[in-house]
Amino acid sequence: MKRARLKHTLLLTSLLVIIAVPVAAQTKKKDRRGFVWDDRPTIVFGEDINLEIKGRTLFEWRKFDPDIGEDIFHLRTARVGMKGKLTKHFDWEIEREITEDKNKKVIFGAWKDVNIEWNTFDAIKIRGGRFKMPFGMEQTTGISDLDFAYRALGSTQIAPGRDRGMMAAGDLGRFNYEIGVFDDDGDNAESNEPQFVREGEDLKAVGPAVAVRVIGDVLRVLPVGRLRSANVGIAYTNSEVPEGLNSLRGESVWGKHFFERVYVKGRRQRYGAQFDWSPGPASLKAEWMQSREDRKEQSNRDQDLSTFIADAWYVAGTWFITGEDKDNNVKVKSPLLEGGPGAIELAARIERLGFRSAATTGLAFTNPRNDNQVPNSDTVFTIGVNWTTSKWTRVIVNAIHEDFEDQARSPLPGTGTTSFWSGLVRLNIVF
Amino acid sequence: MLRYAVVIFTVVLACAVPASAQSSDDLFNPDVLQRIDLWLNSADWEKLKANFQENTYYPAQLNWNGITVENVGIRSRGLGSRRGTKPGLRVDMDHYSTGQHFLGLKSFVLDNLSQDPSGIRETVTMRFFTRLGIPAPRETFCRLYVRGVYVGLYGLVESVDKTMMGRVFGEINGNLQNDGYLFEYNYVLGSPWRFNYEGSDLAPYKTRFDIKTNESHGDVKIWGPIEELVRLVNNTDVSQWDAIVGARVDLPEFVRYIAAQNFTAQNDGFNGYDGMNNFFFYRLEDSTKNVFIAWDEDVGFLQPDFGITTRLDENVLTRKTLSVSTYASQYFSALLEAADNASDWMRGEMQRQFDMINDAMIADPVKLWTVDEYQAEKVKLLAFPDARITYVRCEVAKTAGSPRPAGCQ
Repeated sequence: MKRARLKHTLLLTSLLVIIAVPVAAQTKKKDRRGFVWDDRPTIVFGEDINLEIKGRTLFEWRKFDPDIGEDIFHLRTARVGMKGKLTKHFDWEIEREITEDKNKKVIFGAWKDVNIEWNTFDAIKIRGGRFKMPFGMEQTTGISDLDFAYRALGSTQIAPGRDRGMMAAGDLGRFNYEIGVFDDDGDNAESNEPQFVREGEDLKAVGPAVAVRVIGDVLRVLPVGRLRSANVGIAYTNSEVPEGLNSLRGESVWGKHFFERVYVKGRRQRYGAQFDWSPGPASLKAEWMQSREDRKEQSNRDQDLSTFIADAWYVAGTWFITGEDKDNNVKVKSPLLEGGPGAIELAARIERLGFRSAATTGLAFTNPRNDNQVPNSDTVFTIGVNWTTSKWTRVIVNAIHEDFEDQARSPLPGTGTTSFWSGLVRLNIVF
Repeated sequence: MLRYAVVIFTVVLACAVPASAQSSDDLFNPDVLQRIDLWLNSADWEKLKANFQENTYYPAQLNWNGITVENVGIRSRGLGSRRGTKPGLRVDMDHYSTGQHFLGLKSFVLDNLSQDPSGIRETVTMRFFTRLGIPAPRETFCRLYVRGVYVGLYGLVESVDKTMMGRVFGEINGNLQNDGYLFEYNYVLGSPWRFNYEGSDLAPYKTRFDIKTNESHGDVKIWGPIEELVRLVNNTDVSQWDAIVGARVDLPEFVRYIAAQNFTAQNDGFNGYDGMNNFFFYRLEDSTKNVFIAWDEDVGFLQPDFGITTRLDENVLTRKTLSVSTYASQYFSALLEAADNASDWMRGEMQRQFDMINDAMIADPVKLWTVDEYQAEKVKLLAFPDARITYVRCEVAKTAGSPRPAGCQ
């Protein structure tokens, strides 16, 4: 009941804010000092010093076939934050989640982004604090800018996500680069169990992780027509993972485990490749990524096991039927509140996330110390419509079909069902 | 050529026989001190011992008598018997591999013998109960080796599960008795229970009776009949006992069970010092009838003069059943039958088991008792059968008002 109250309160508040925003926005830019409301409420202290308040709430109404025991009405995300400029040399950002404790009291949850960036030069910018590691095109895209309600599985389970660290990044003309060193190996790869320390042993830290990504328009030099505007990139991460039941694991779109963690020890490496092409109102994006985790001394007899591998890929296409240009900041040609239809975009994505061992000989078992792991994968097809009604609001409608390779590790084991349909209507409110 | 063929055939046969011809009867053969080898990652064995209060499973390889089972799951087990230095273990064949069996078993228990300095109380009791026709698990002993190192003498105990129910009860009306409702009685510390009615809410019964089969069935189907049984036991007049309670409990089997527990001077059983404890309860398949299954009899043989009516008036089911003259008479007859059965068997069996485990017990690197304590228990236990037989016969005669046999005080 109280959970429902939080959801409804946030929904109502968010709607009031977005109705108020256009009115407040009427006064923007008359005076660039003091309180202004451009894209979001902002306090301007001077030409290059400001403080912007930002917030986002994402609500969902969902349907499952067959039923897998999930709530129908779901508050996906609620966050508040601040960002701003500190002279023309520094940008900064703070964002935190709003959630409930076990007594249903509304509290601040996990810190998301807390970082500052020195950006005097385009060729080298230095960022420090907590932010997303440079791996995974979709993972490093903000949740409110995604083309689908949910990221592809690889983006949330192989890509590392946020961590605390330092990163250098820059624009070298044809190439952008990012290279960073991080404390651990990202939120998405957090260890599952407390580290077990034998007598006389020291606690071993995860990481430090190193992450590198290079993106460029390398196709520009090839005779490939309009494809010359596409960006391609490659990425790599490397970290040390201490002994334990700490591998990456497989979760379905709705969080059901289809591959449990296995025992790992040694290096965790990730390899990634990305493709991004946005000609006019359409876009075509694709990613491939793989993680390889060592299992040194992890057999029942303390011998090395074969590498544990997770592979993921997706191909996604979108098209604005209302003609807007597909770029990182879609400008709605005819917003709903100004009498227009808003921006309407069709989207489709096919993806797969799978787990396996490098060894494929010998008896295959799901035992987390077995050399030959029984593989499992989730192949997902998503189609959707995105309706951007204003710069602050967007409605996403998705139909999702999941198909699991191993029925015994599907959301409804023992039923013979490997395929699942689900649908959702998402309301994104972002300022 | 023929000679080579014969030699090869003989070698192949010799290798194949140990693996193929063995059964769970061989594993639990009471005449054999077995050797069990478990291979698990060194970190897991350390973790299991450090976190012995948790039920976390660890993968392992099991070796017994030439048979290897990959991918078994082991975990710490027990209630008051849990120890970090010498953990009791449950070995599950199908935890990581659905449907995997070992000699037809889904699991077995490695009892760390942590509550019995003699080591043999439980194995003697279970064999004795089986002789009296009371459902009890098969047991023997094993030397347990973990990663090739001897880690102690353990009891090797058959799990009370569907497989055992099928073995014990066989087919009734053409139906193999392996799909009824099996419960392990859960002793709740600080809340002794003696079959008193606890109301129509199923929660207290769910707490006390852990379901082990058909777990996916609804609460009413699983625990409803237990609530009904307890209510009827408390509310039924003894004049209708057979018709109403007898339709739900195998009363003759129940009387033999409590008589056998009394004979072995079991102070922590069904009529225990702190309420009921240490048993399984099985509702037969397609039936309303329940039976009791012996479990965890490792603190018996308390003293030879343990009263033959000790606490019989405390438990509602015991008291009201024995207030029916037929069952009271059966109870004393069962005591005498137990005495007769024990007279030409129990002391010899104790001696045989001591001889079998003696070296392994003394060599146990993490035994929880000194050798002197073990030897003292040995002497005490070996003196029990003769004294107990005499005491029980004398007391039954005294109760019945019949002539007292020789040796009575």
